[in-house]
Amino acid sequence: MNVIITKGIEKTYNPKTIPVHALQGVDLTIKKGEFTAIVGPSGSGKTTLLNIIGGLDRPTSGYIEVGGKDISKLSDNQLIDFRRENIGFVFQAYNLIPVLTAKENIEFIMLLQGIPKAQRDKRTLELLHAVGLDDKINKRPIELSGGQQQRVAVARALASKPAFILADEPTANLDSLSTVNLLDIMANLNMQEHITFVFSTHDQRVIDRARRVVTLEDGVISSDVYVDQ
Amino acid sequence: MLLKIAWKNIWRSKVRSLVVIIAIALGVWAIIFINGLTVGITRAYINNAVNYEISHLQMHHPQYIEESIINYQIREELSDLQEVEGVKAISQRMLANGMISSPKAARGIVVRGIQPAAENAVTHLSDLIIEGEYFGSKARNPIIIGQEIAEKLKIKLRQKVVITFQSKGGDIVAGSFRIIGIYKAKNSQYESMNVFVDQKDLAATNGEKMIHEVAIVVNDINSIDQIQPLIESKYPGTSVRNYKEISPDISLYESQIQVNLIVIIIIIMLALIFGIINTMLMAVLERIKELGMLMAVGMNKLNVFMMIVFETIILGIVGAPLGMLLGKMTISYFETRGIDLSSYSKGMRQFGMSEILYPHLEGNVFIQLAIAVLITAMLASIYPAYKAIKLRPVEAIRSI
Ligand SMILES: Nc1ncnc2c1ncn2[C@@H]1O[C@H](COP(=O)(O)OP(=O)(O)O)[C@@H](O)[C@H]1O
Ligand SMILES: [Mg+2]
Repeated sequence: MNVIITKGIEKTYNPKTIPVHALQGVDLTIKKGEFTAIVGPSGSGKTTLLNIIGGLDRPTSGYIEVGGKDISKLSDNQLIDFRRENIGFVFQAYNLIPVLTAKENIEFIMLLQGIPKAQRDKRTLELLHAVGLDDKINKRPIELSGGQQQRVAVARALASKPAFILADEPTANLDSLSTVNLLDIMANLNMQEHITFVFSTHDQRVIDRARRVVTLEDGVISSDVYVDQ
Repeated sequence: MLLKIAWKNIWRSKVRSLVVIIAIALGVWAIIFINGLTVGITRAYINNAVNYEISHLQMHHPQYIEESIINYQIREELSDLQEVEGVKAISQRMLANGMISSPKAARGIVVRGIQPAAENAVTHLSDLIIEGEYFGSKARNPIIIGQEIAEKLKIKLRQKVVITFQSKGGDIVAGSFRIIGIYKAKNSQYESMNVFVDQKDLAATNGEKMIHEVAIVVNDINSIDQIQPLIESKYPGTSVRNYKEISPDISLYESQIQVNLIVIIIIIMLALIFGIINTMLMAVLERIKELGMLMAVGMNKLNVFMMIVFETIILGIVGAPLGMLLGKMTISYFETRGIDLSSYSKGMRQFGMSEILYPHLEGNVFIQLAIAVLITAMLASIYPAYKAIKLRPVEAIRSI
């Protein structure tokens, strides 16, 4: 089953002044259960592509379908709802609400979805367990290490049971131990729960863990290979 | 949950939030205090005027009001006025417009020929005596004059003055009076206008006893509207007016001071609004990335908007009661002790204001104020909240 389909995606920033052709015709199909790395040098268009797939930004032209739905037709407000219900996000930093504990941060998304308390509590604990942070449940982000924060972010991203998780350079701010740790957790979730991950990186250690590597160069896909782990 | 986050967000920048809370508290305090002063001033003004000068009701010959000449006297038999239900005390006065002269100077005044005991029950004149004494001694032709006049005439207690006025017959008559008391009124204008003599003595000078004015005090000021028509119908040939009709400046004064109060409140509220807008904008701009992230992961605009509004309102909800408490305490403190304005009172007394002010608060002020502050906070939150939802998540996040 395809969770993401893009056809001929183009994105031009500042079309009227100094146009930047960030994406120049990207065709990409992601199937359920894949563990895909979008790689490429800085400025190659990784973030732009992930933003478009995630419904945070709109392509200049091209077709985009997420979870079987053509999201280009959604209004800004519908997009917000769509993101909440269908996509889990992990950003490079600032993933968490600083004033809330790990538990509350994870719960927050479910609260916005209107999930009842008992269910929220249960799922929050499961998720914290899945990312190995059972003992940090009541810690606020500032009391967690960078790696732990990213793990909470992964748990938060999973909370709404999204179709897939988008992670834009999730390890960029992490030391190598935390990087390995986070990748282990993501890989585990992928193997055992069949969670679909699409993450961007230019870190070779992360690339090595991916099972599919899509390489972007100057806004076009220059290679797309499936790797046997 | 939004509320909870909003509450916690407030304490992220403790100093800033505290400053806003204190500003709101001070604003509220100032409004309460000014309000209390205003009510105190108004009440004192009305009380002074009513208790010492005007009384609740006055009866005249209808034409005397237009033209206060001695011939317009009240001819009605007044003996049963005192029996009218609700009437507490009455004072029948004989009035003469005339001159008071000392060897050094002369001034135009109103001579009030009173029955000492009755007058005192109505206007408490004896309380105002600062030198000498009230009527009652055996002195011949006693007169009580105001301190202002005494100074203007350069005259002292126990000295003599001459009173001149046009008698009923049209002749200019004069009488010599000895000062037995000097009074100081709440209102210096009144003090420089009125002198008091015994009605018998004035009648003797005039050649005939006449009554021009009856001042009436009722038991309950709120019953005036019922008592006034009662007296009017009993004495159809007279004009009966209440204190507001007699002294329209009382109502004018009340409304004037009310307008001033509203202007002050608006100024304070505006200052608060801009202070709050500024603070909340800072709070939003500081959190661009976080707000972008929240919108990215699915917090909709309404929720973001409400979160900022809640944050602002909470500041108001914390600050306002604090200010109210402070205000209440300040007013209660001064309500019994009074605020001594005697160093400014020369000016104040011309307008009939007391030298010691007793601020007073009415209960509904608090409710009104609470609502006003909440509305202020809500208004102030709109712009920052609007700014927050106008953020575009991609850009907000890219700025990481
Ligand atoms: N908001 C923007 N306005 C103009 N140019 C942009 C904007 N965002 C990205 N770009 C440009 O688009 C290209 C792709 O950027 P990006 O998607 O961030 O690449 P990557 O994530 O691979 O580093 C770069 O040349 C970048 O400078
Ligand atoms: Mg990038």
